Amino acid sequence: MLGSYLIVAVGFWVLILIVLPQLSMFDYSFRYNLPPAEIGTEKDVYTTSNYGHFFQGNEGNPDRLSVFGMETDIPFNQIGMSVFFKTIVAAVFVTLFDLLLCYPLAYYLGQSKGGGFVRSLVLLLIIPYWVNEILRAFAFRIIFGATGVINTSLVGLGILDAPFDFVREDIALYAGLGYAYILLMIFPIYNAIESLDHNQVEAARDLGSPWWRIHWRVVIPFAKPGIVSGCTMVFMLSAGALAAPQILGGPSSLWFTQIIYQWFNTGGNWPRGAAYAVVLLITCIIFVLAMMRIFKVKMGEIGK
Amino acid sequence: MRSGAAIKFFLGLYMLIFFGYLLGPLIIMSITAFNSPAFPKAAPWECLTFEWFGVLAQDERILNGIKNSFIIGAGTVTLSVLLGLAGALVLTQVWPKLRATYYTVVIAPILIPGVVLGISTLVFWDRVNTMLGFSDESLFHNGLFLTMLGQATFISSYCMLVFVARLQRFDYAQTEAALDLGATHAQAFRKVMLPFLRPAIGSAAVLAFLASFENYNTTTFTFGKFPTLTIELAQKVRYGINPSISSLAVIIVVLTILGALAYEVWKRRQKLAIANGAPIAAVSGGFRLPKFLAGNPAAIVLTVLVISGLGTVLFAQNYSPHTCKIEVKEEKQRQIQLRIQKLQEERKAEELQEKLKGPDIFTKEQRKGDKNPGKGSFGDVFKPGNLGTEKEDKEKAKQKNPGKGTFGDVFNPGNLNDKKNKDEKKE
Repeated sequence: MLGSYLIVAVGFWVLILIVLPQLSMFDYSFRYNLPPAEIGTEKDVYTTSNYGHFFQGNEGNPDRLSVFGMETDIPFNQIGMSVFFKTIVAAVFVTLFDLLLCYPLAYYLGQSKGGGFVRSLVLLLIIPYWVNEILRAFAFRIIFGATGVINTSLVGLGILDAPFDFVREDIALYAGLGYAYILLMIFPIYNAIESLDHNQVEAARDLGSPWWRIHWRVVIPFAKPGIVSGCTMVFMLSAGALAAPQILGGPSSLWFTQIIYQWFNTGGNWPRGAAYAVVLLITCIIFVLAMMRIFKVKMGEIGK
Repeated sequence: MRSGAAIKFFLGLYMLIFFGYLLGPLIIMSITAFNSPAFPKAAPWECLTFEWFGVLAQDERILNGIKNSFIIGAGTVTLSVLLGLAGALVLTQVWPKLRATYYTVVIAPILIPGVVLGISTLVFWDRVNTMLGFSDESLFHNGLFLTMLGQATFISSYCMLVFVARLQRFDYAQTEAALDLGATHAQAFRKVMLPFLRPAIGSAAVLAFLASFENYNTTTFTFGKFPTLTIELAQKVRYGINPSISSLAVIIVVLTILGALAYEVWKRRQKLAIANGAPIAAVSGGFRLPKFLAGNPAAIVLTVLVISGLGTVLFAQNYSPHTCKIEVKEEKQRQIQLRIQKLQEERKAEELQEKLKGPDIFTKEQRKGDKNPGKGSFGDVFKPGNLGTEKEDKEKAKQKNPGKGTFGDVFNPGNLNDKKNKDEKKE
């Protein structure tokens, strides 16, 4: 009875919830957008047109791919591709920003002897994490809005003449994204550094190593699994974020997930949306594999 | 020594910036919940008000969202705990060569973007539905069903991690002993392993519920006709915001703090008791106040918070921001009046200046000539593009209204109704 529970539950989870939906989405992304009545008829054939659309845009698209300033004849989906690269690059920057911000605190918390003060700091860290993602983005909209706290104080102090449009410049979005996933950066690094024997740091210091070399040669190599795991989580979550770009994004700039969302909702072209989602998924898989290969970290260490 | 002080200063500054970034937004948002302007603002403080909590409590969509969130949460928690537990148990039993692959597969949902999980769930069950020839109203298109499955896909992985961590400390000799003494596998599981896993089941359930409650990326594709609280919030925030959302945030923040503090109190009590040599079982029951407050700062903070929270609620019952609001309104009107006066004065000054300058006759005539250099008395009748564009325009017009001839849309069946409606309105 126990055995059958395990087999049924794990089979259901792995097959019905994880593998088959992904495969079905992959299959669906190679099909035409047909009305329900025509699905399964001879019109329902495979096509790569949805991926073609991602790279080349609609038929008759005037934009052409240019390689190192040379114009080519290949059509190029300016909007989709530029949004895609913007999303990836921005997600990388958000990740680096979080890493720089979190590393010192993680080191401080991890190496101090514990005690009430550190415990209450950890408690303070956890509180924003349980507040809804939407509400966190909403808080940033209040702060960065035209009549928000930052603008009113800057104008009030005479630093600015007119309110600065943080939302249009995407500053609000980057601040909000960095904020949303900061804890997924700090806790893995904290956990890793906590197990570092402080004597190692002391020994390096006694041997005359400056503080930056202690970090570079002793602490960072030791905390590497934590750092890689934090960076991976933050990158994946910011690249796949939907709420923050919808709430904080400028009116003229899009996040890649927003394009996917549009194909499913207002666009009404599910196969195309699925193709875009597959592109996002494959990018993320490549990113994780690259992180694991470059930093020689195992899957199990990222999952922690 | 000086460098030591500098390091301390920079460390302090850094901590200030870090926690300012972390908590500042929440504090400002909480302040806006008590300020009276209809757009959430913290900066020009107008009146202390509690009305936004009232607005929140009467918001049908929010209440409905909370209901749906709880239904979905219950389903997701049950499913995720069951699947996660099975996943963790299988991990310990699975053939070692397969273990790495199996682990990668069941941990992958955490790393797959939530958007992709939502889409794949939606697409998969839609295909299943078409394949089985069910109608659009079947279970496989039901928002509750899809959302539970979509969320359970990755929340099960979280639960599994919790169970794996707990199982690492399990001594398998215990189950073996039970089996040796004649227990069946099911009995050994129920009487030995399950009690050991009970705390992990609790924390996995709490974790699963919170993750389900605040999930947006997956749910936004699968919710169908059952929007959860998070979905409703996102809709509200995207299309017009008011401070009732802030008041909801205040409630959530306060609940979070209370929960965190209560957890801290509970942990410390356990630690204290264990240090004093009491068995754990003795610690988890009974509540003796004076002893428990001693040497437990978290407990003191918790008590103070609860009392001040109750005080605020009582105060809010008897407080009315009405007079303050009227004052603010008057103040605003006075300022508007001042601004109008200023504008009027400026305009008068401008008019005076213009009069002093005198009329200028020449510029107008000259400008006209400059603008249309090629146009004589025929205007631009002979412009080569004219004919073409006219034709095109007409064609376009035709395409736009394919059914309309000379009669316009006299025969449009909707017309009569429209007229009727108009007549009714007139009456």
